[in-house]
Amino acid sequence: MISKVAFLGVGSFNVDPFITFTFITIDPMIEVQDLTKQYAGRTAVDHISFKVEPGEIVGFLGPNGAGKSTTMRMLAGYMPPSSGRASVNGHDVFQASMEVRRSVGYMPEMAPLYTDMRVKEYLRFRAQLKGLSGKTLRQRVGDVMDQCAITDVRRRLIGNLSKGYRQRVALADALVHQPPLLILDEPTNGLDPVQIRHVRELLKSLGPNHTILLSTHILQEVEAICDRVIMIHQGKIRAIDTPGNLTRKLRAASIVQLELQGKGDFITQLEALPGVRKATEDSVQDGWRVFSLRVEARHDAREAIMDLCLRETWKIRELHWQLPSLEDVFVELAATEAAKA
Amino acid sequence: MRIFWVLLKKELRAFFVSPVAYIVLALVMVLSGFSFRAALSVLESAPSEGSIVTWTFHAMWFWLSYFFIFPLLTMRLFAEEKKMGTLETLFTAPVHAWQVVWSKYLAAVFVYCVLWIPSYLNFRFVDWITVGQVEVPIGALKGSYLILLAMGLFNLAIGCFASSLTSNQIIAAVISFTISLLHFLAGLFIMVVGRRVSETFVDIINYFASMEHIRIFTSGLIDTRPLVYYTSFALLFIALTHQVVEFRRWRP
Repeated sequence: MISKVAFLGVGSFNVDPFITFTFITIDPMIEVQDLTKQYAGRTAVDHISFKVEPGEIVGFLGPNGAGKSTTMRMLAGYMPPSSGRASVNGHDVFQASMEVRRSVGYMPEMAPLYTDMRVKEYLRFRAQLKGLSGKTLRQRVGDVMDQCAITDVRRRLIGNLSKGYRQRVALADALVHQPPLLILDEPTNGLDPVQIRHVRELLKSLGPNHTILLSTHILQEVEAICDRVIMIHQGKIRAIDTPGNLTRKLRAASIVQLELQGKGDFITQLEALPGVRKATEDSVQDGWRVFSLRVEARHDAREAIMDLCLRETWKIRELHWQLPSLEDVFVELAATEAAKA
Repeated sequence: MRIFWVLLKKELRAFFVSPVAYIVLALVMVLSGFSFRAALSVLESAPSEGSIVTWTFHAMWFWLSYFFIFPLLTMRLFAEEKKMGTLETLFTAPVHAWQVVWSKYLAAVFVYCVLWIPSYLNFRFVDWITVGQVEVPIGALKGSYLILLAMGLFNLAIGCFASSLTSNQIIAAVISFTISLLHFLAGLFIMVVGRRVSETFVDIINYFASMEHIRIFTSGLIDTRPLVYYTSFALLFIALTHQVVEFRRWRP
């Protein structure tokens, strides 16, 4: 109910800003309206609007230079928007920058750190800047070092650490003051697969008290942890949806893979099936011939293939319908953009 | 205010953990030793109007150390953070720009003050060894360190400003070096052409000639004009630094 009221309040923004303000403080963690950022004549972020509810994990997906980092920097209070507005935890990012910074744990791209400091020393320094002191400070620094698995390097100089460790030190810094919102710019960039899984588990385990906005250009990442995806390309939002829905909406053709044994002209017969666009033989594995079929979007050709095999008495070892990945969505998105331009 | 102390502590730590402070300290110690030696030999050779303080701060060695101090102490301050990207982490923590600017500046001022301790000890030593035979005028000594502090405040503020303009430490160093050099050359210029130009012109140039200031203060006089000049320009450049740092947050 609250969310509905707040929505109405937001809708009436132009009519009565005061009422809107009171409602926003209750509701979304991030609210962005018509946000635009121009650098030296170039529009990096172009009138984007979106909302993130408390407790959500939202993925910001887009190729390099799409405007992800710029948007995140504005939300973290580092730079002001050229026009439009954004609020975090009910505070305007421009008017109330300090309050915004207090409620955000921000991890910039490339995880910049003071290389001449030791890990624990750095985290203590950052925690003090963020207003922690005394017992809470010691407790929190210890906790985040455990959470991010960096306790064993706490006395090492940051400059001597590997990329993976540095990345996790930066993440620990973002977490240290228990901010309600985490803004993470490519948090798994430069980590090895084990560390990536660890970070994903960590983010998921933070639970409903933390809202997370993370950017990435790795698609499995959003598929693995995000509740929603915001796709951004050339400064504009292309889609906002759940990872599953995005995949389902995909127009790109899906692929069926099968392995067969038997006699006859496989290719011609398979291509004659309704909905199959093209059949290709990929390889032969221990006497089994491996085919992949491109089928029409949302057309499940598996039953028809099975019937065909029974009719022709072919032996079948594998029949697998591969759902299109976000990667395909992405490639298609980029391709349509290129075609338009 | 607590945040300011945290930042100041971090800046001071950066000076003393890295070799910067020690290298500059060693350089200044060696050069002030040389200038002190030069002053002693002047006093040895002939009776002189000037005291040991005057001659020490007129030695070429003193000016050599003077030029190197400011770029070395300040070039790092902002340029390094810009290059490393840590300015972004710093300014997404709840800190105000003034806290960052003043903590960096005052840390540099503190290190600058520490640099002159060895030269002060030289004077104490000569007093102690000669059992007061060589006269070390206390007033002149106090005046010298007062003007050194004022000159330091000024040049460090310029260095701070130069560092905030660029992410390249070399550029920052060259800017601050040039400005302190110009203040020295102004005095040299007057020494060369002093007789041939009008007195007003000499007065104007002398107003910001560091050599002239040193001459006045080392002879035990306190002239408030250079003090006002240096401190007010120091404040101006710190304010400008603040604006440069805040520029990022300006709305177009």
